[in-house]
Amino acid sequence: MTGLALDLLIIASLIGLAIQAINGASLFRGIIHFVVLGLAMSLAWARLDAPDLAMAEAAIGAGVTGALMMIAYRRLIEIRPDHDNATRTPRSRLALPIALASGVLVGVIGLAAIQAEPLPGQAGIAVLETLESTGLGNPVTGVLLLFRGFDTLLEITVLLAALLSAQAVTRQDDLDRSLTTEDPDTPLIGALLAIVVPLTVLISVHLLKAGSQETGGAFQAGAVLAACGVLLALTGRLASSRDYSPLLNGGLLVGLVSFILIGLAPLLYGQPLMALPGVWAVYFIESAMMISIALTLVLLFAGAASLKRRSRG
Amino acid sequence: MSPTESVSLVLLLAGCGFYLAGTIGLLRFPDVYCRLHALAKADNTGLFLICVGLAVLSADWQVAAILALVWMIGLLAATVSAHLIARHAHGAGREPVRPRPDR
Repeated sequence: MTGLALDLLIIASLIGLAIQAINGASLFRGIIHFVVLGLAMSLAWARLDAPDLAMAEAAIGAGVTGALMMIAYRRLIEIRPDHDNATRTPRSRLALPIALASGVLVGVIGLAAIQAEPLPGQAGIAVLETLESTGLGNPVTGVLLLFRGFDTLLEITVLLAALLSAQAVTRQDDLDRSLTTEDPDTPLIGALLAIVVPLTVLISVHLLKAGSQETGGAFQAGAVLAACGVLLALTGRLASSRDYSPLLNGGLLVGLVSFILIGLAPLLYGQPLMALPGVWAVYFIESAMMISIALTLVLLFAGAASLKRRSRG
Repeated sequence: MSPTESVSLVLLLAGCGFYLAGTIGLLRFPDVYCRLHALAKADNTGLFLICVGLAVLSADWQVAAILALVWMIGLLAATVSAHLIARHAHGAGREPVRPRPDR
C-alpha cells in the first residue's frame, strides 16, 4: 500500500515536472525543473529495482547534464542578455495533438508490456544463466561489455563525436574566457576541495571496482569523476586552454582505443570479434572508459579544446 | 511496533518536520539571507534526524557509519554553497531586509 502510494507520488511528480520543464515561465526555471525531473527519474529507476540506471540517471541525467545546461544558459545570457525576458514563442497548434498521441502510444505499449507473457528463451534469462561462467556478478556490466559490447563501443564513440562537434563550433575567443564569474578564492573553497576531491576519486574507483559484482560501472564512475572536474573548473582550479596536451588527448582516446584493440585481439586466435578474453579485460576496458568518459564530460562542460591548471597569483 | 521502530519513526517524523519548516522558510522569508538561513539550518537538522532515524532502524554500525558520512558531506555542501550564494548576493549589493525601527 505504502509502495503503491510512493509509486503514484513519483509518477505524478514526474509528469508535473516534465510539464514544468518544457512549459515553465522562463528558460532558467525550465532547466531547474529538468534537473529535478532527473532526480525524480532516478527515484523511479530505484523503485523499479534498477540501481545501475538510477545511479547513472542521477549522475549523468541530473548532475552532468544539468551542469551543461547551466553553463549553456550562462553563455546564452552573455550573448543575448534580454533573452529570458523576451516574449515566449506561441505554442504550436500541433503541440496538444502530438502530446495526446504520444501519451496514448506510451500507454498502449505499457499495457501490452504488462499483459505480455514472458517468452521462453528471452535474452535476459540467457544472460543470467551464462553470467556465472564469466566471473562477473553484475548482469548489467555483463550485458554492457560481454554480451552487447558493440553497443557500448558505439556509445563511447558517440560521446567522442559529441566532444569533437562541440570543439568544432566553439569560438576561439570563448576559450580565453574564465569559467568562473568572480574571484573564487574564499577560504571555504580550499577546505571544500581538500575534502571533496579525494572523496570523489575514492567513490569513482569504488564504483568502478564494484561494477563487476554489484551496482556500479564505468559510466557512473566516469560521471562522478567528471563532477569532480566540473567542481575544479567552477572553482577556478582548472581553466580552459587552447593547447592540446598529448596526455589529455591520450586520456580522451584511451577508452575507445583499448576497447577496439582488446575487441580485435581475439581475431588473431581465431575467436569471434569482441569475445573478451576474461574478467581482467573487463576491468581494463572499464578503467580506460572511466577516464575517457570523465575527461570528455569535463571538456564538454568547459566547452574547451583543452584544460590546464590555472596559474595562481 | 518494536521500541526501536517507534524511536526511529519519531526521529524520521521530526526530520520531515524540519524539512517542511525549511521549505516554508525558503518560500516565505523576505530576502536571500533569511532564506539561506532557513535552508542551511533547518534542512541540515532534518537530514541529521532522518539519518539517525534510519541508522536506528537498520541497527547496523556499518550502515550508521555510512549515514554519518552522508550527513557530513551534505553539511559540507550546504555550508559552502550557502556561503557562496550569500557572498555573491552581498557582492551584488543586496541589502538584508531589516525590521522597521518604529515597530
